[in-house]
Amino acid sequence: MRTNLDRRHFLGLAGLGAGAAALAACGGPSTAGTADAVDTATIDFSGVKPAASIDFWTNHPGKSQDVEKAIIEKFQAKFPDIKVNLVTAGANYEEIAQKFQTSQAAKTGLPGLVVLSDVWWFRYFSNGSIIPIDPLVKQLDIKIDDFQKSLVDDYKYDDKQWALPYGRSTPLFYYNKDHFKAAGLPDRAPATWQEFAEWAPKLKATSGAQYAYIYPALAGYAGWTLQNNLWGWGGAWSKGWDITCDSKESVAALQWAQDSIYKDGWAGVSSKEAADDFAAGITSSTISSTGSLLGVLKAAKFNVGVGFLPGGPEVPSSVCPTGGAGLGIPSGITKEEQLAAATFLKFMTEPENTAAFSAATGYMPTRLSADISSVLAATPQIKTAMDQLAATKVQDNARVFLPGADQEMAKSAAKILTQQGDVQATMTELKKTLEGIYTKDVKPKLKS
Amino acid sequence: MTAPLMHNSSATPADRSARPDAAPPGGPAAKTNPAQARRRWSGRSRKDFVVFLAMALPNLVLIGTFTYWPLINNIYYSTLDWTLGSASATVVGLQNYVTFFTSEDASKVLGTTAIFTVLTVGGSMVLGLLVALALNSKVRGTTFARSAVFAPYVLSGVGVGLVWLFIFDPGYGVLAWILRGLGQQSPQWINDPQLSLVMVIIVYVWKNLGYCAVVFLAGLQSLPRDVMEAAALDGANSFRRFFNISLPLLSPTTFFLLITTMLSSLQAFDLIRIMTPLGNGTSTLIYEAYLQAFGAYNRAGYSAAISVILFAILLVITVLQLRFVERKVHYS
Repeated sequence: MRTNLDRRHFLGLAGLGAGAAALAACGGPSTAGTADAVDTATIDFSGVKPAASIDFWTNHPGKSQDVEKAIIEKFQAKFPDIKVNLVTAGANYEEIAQKFQTSQAAKTGLPGLVVLSDVWWFRYFSNGSIIPIDPLVKQLDIKIDDFQKSLVDDYKYDDKQWALPYGRSTPLFYYNKDHFKAAGLPDRAPATWQEFAEWAPKLKATSGAQYAYIYPALAGYAGWTLQNNLWGWGGAWSKGWDITCDSKESVAALQWAQDSIYKDGWAGVSSKEAADDFAAGITSSTISSTGSLLGVLKAAKFNVGVGFLPGGPEVPSSVCPTGGAGLGIPSGITKEEQLAAATFLKFMTEPENTAAFSAATGYMPTRLSADISSVLAATPQIKTAMDQLAATKVQDNARVFLPGADQEMAKSAAKILTQQGDVQATMTELKKTLEGIYTKDVKPKLKS
Repeated sequence: MTAPLMHNSSATPADRSARPDAAPPGGPAAKTNPAQARRRWSGRSRKDFVVFLAMALPNLVLIGTFTYWPLINNIYYSTLDWTLGSASATVVGLQNYVTFFTSEDASKVLGTTAIFTVLTVGGSMVLGLLVALALNSKVRGTTFARSAVFAPYVLSGVGVGLVWLFIFDPGYGVLAWILRGLGQQSPQWINDPQLSLVMVIIVYVWKNLGYCAVVFLAGLQSLPRDVMEAAALDGANSFRRFFNISLPLLSPTTFFLLITTMLSSLQAFDLIRIMTPLGNGTSTLIYEAYLQAFGAYNRAGYSAAISVILFAILLVITVLQLRFVERKVHYS
C-alpha cells in the first residue's frame, strides 16, 4: 500500500492533534510517589517579609467588582508596600476552579489569594493545593472567634482552618407579594412545603404567572437547594460518608417535587437562573441565593418578599444549607506571597469591609462585630438571611466533598423533574455513581 | 495493492512531461550514474534543500512544539491516575482506557458523538447545498444573501450560543412566545437532555451551513457549462441534470466538505459549553474529555485517555475517507 504524505495529508494530521494540546500543555505530575498533603509542620512565617505584589483571583460573587476594587484601594492606602492585583479569574466558581487547577498543574501563575466555593475547597485541601492558615491567623492576630461560627467551621478539617468565609450565602425563599395578596394569602413564606401546596393552586389561578413556584436551574446548583426538600422529608444526599439519596425519605421528597410539576401542575423548572425568572414575573415564588437579593430587588417591578426556606413533613421547621465562597491561600507560592495574601485576607474580612461587601451584594456579613445597621437600613431583607443562619445546617458530604457529585445530582434531578423519570430508579443509579466517586477519588485521600 | 488517487492517476503524460523537473520513463534520468547524481546534489538540489528548510522549518518547529509534543505528552498522561491540580500521580497503564470502555459512559458518549456528528455534518451539507443552489440562480439580491448566509460562520460561537439560549428559553424565549401564541407550552429545551442535543444540533447546523453553502457555490460555479448545455440539448430536465451531472461533478467539493465538517464537528466545543454546561445529553467525546478534567471530576489521566480515543477515531475516519471515499470522487 502506497502512502502519499502530501501537504494536505500532513496538515490534516497536524490538525488532528490540536484538540489534545490543551490538556497536555499543562505541566506534568510526579510519579515518584510523593504525597500531596501539605507538610504543615514546616509552615513557619517568622522572619518572613510580605511580598511586594500578589494577585487576587475572584469571580466577583454577587456582582461585587466595584466593592472589591474599593476595598483594595483602602488596603493599598494602609499597606502601600503590598500591591494587590484584582484578577477576574472566571464568571463563576467552576471557572475559577478550572483556572486555579490548571495553574496548579502548570506550576506557574498562581494567585496569592483565591475565591473557593463550598464544593471546591476540600478538593484543593486533598490535592495539597492550599495551606492551613492557622499559623497566619496566629501571627497576624486574625480574630477567628469574631466570625459567624457556622460559616468559619465550614472550612475546618483535620483540626485545621483551611480558608475564611467571604461571599457566604444561604438559599432564601423569594415570593411576589402582589401575587400573594391577590390570591388572599398571608404576606410571608410558607412554613412547610405542604402549606405551600395548599397555596399554589390559588396562586396559579390568580397571578397570571406561568408557575406558582419554579425550581432553581438544574445546571446551577440543584444539589444545593434540593437539600432543603430532602432534609424536610427526613432524607439527605448522604449521612456522613454513607450515601442515602435512595432512602425512602429522599425518594419521597423528590417524588413530591416531581408531582408538583407533572401531577399538580403548579411548578416548573428554571432553565437558566431562577432569580431572573422570578424578577421577570414568570413565577410567583422561587428559591435562590441571598447573593441574588440585590439583583432581584433592583430588577423586579413588584413588591418582593423573602422568607426562610419551608420545612417538610418530617422536619416542620425551616431547614437550610449554607453555601457560597471563602478565601484560601495556595501552597505553591512563596512564603512571602502567602504572608502578603494573609495580610490582605485579614483586611478583606475586617468587620467594616464585610459589612461593605454585604451592602453591595446581599451576601451575609461574616463578622459578629460588623456594624450592619446601614446595611439593614438600605436592605432590610438581609436580616431574614442572617436570622435564617440559626436554622442552617452543614451540607451533606456527598454534595460538597465528592468531585463531580453536584453535576451528577443535577443530571438526576433533570431526569426526575424534566423527563418524569422513575424517582427510585434514578436515585438508586445516583447512589451507585456517588459511591464510585467516593471509593475512587475520595476515600484513598482521607485519613483513616 | 495499488490505490492511486485519481488526481494523480488522471494526470496525462503530457502533464508530467510539462513539469520542468520530471523525466519520462527510460529517459535521461534513468541513465544518470551515481557521480552525476552527486554533482546534481552538490548543485541545485542542495540549494533547493536549504530553501525548503528555511521555508518549512519554522512551521515544523511550531507544529512540533504546540501539536505533536503535547500530543505525545497527552498519550503519556492517559496512562496515569492523575487528579488535576495534584502534584503526584500513579502509573496505571491502560486502566483508564479499560475504565472508559467498560463503563456506561462509553456507549452514551460515543452514541452522542455519533448522533451529533452525523446530524450536524449531514444537516450542514444538505442544507448548505440547497442554499448554494438557491444562491447560484441569477436573481436580484444574491450578493447580499451570500453574505448573510456566510455571516453566522464567522460569528463567535459563544455569542451565537448565548443568543440562541434566549431564543430557546422556555420561560421568556421567542420560541416559547410563539408557541404560547399557538396555545402550546414550550418544550424544556435546556433541561431535557434529549432536547438539549436537538437544540445544540440546530444551532450548530445554522452556524455552519453558510460555510458549506459558500464552498458548494464555488463548486457549482466552476462546473463546465458545455456539459450542462449538452445535457439540456439532449432533453435532460433540471432534476436529472442535477443528480446525473452536477452532483457527480461536485464530488471533489463534497469530499472536501465531508472531511472538514466531520473533523470540526467532532471537535465542536464552544456551543456545547455555552448552551449546555452540564453536558447532560450533549456530552460528545471532546466535551466529556473537558468535563472529566476541568468540568468537575478532575480526572486528568482519564480525560487524557478520552482525548487519545478521540484522536484515534479522527485518524481512522480520515484515513478511511482518503483511502476509500476519495476513490468515488470525480476530479474532472
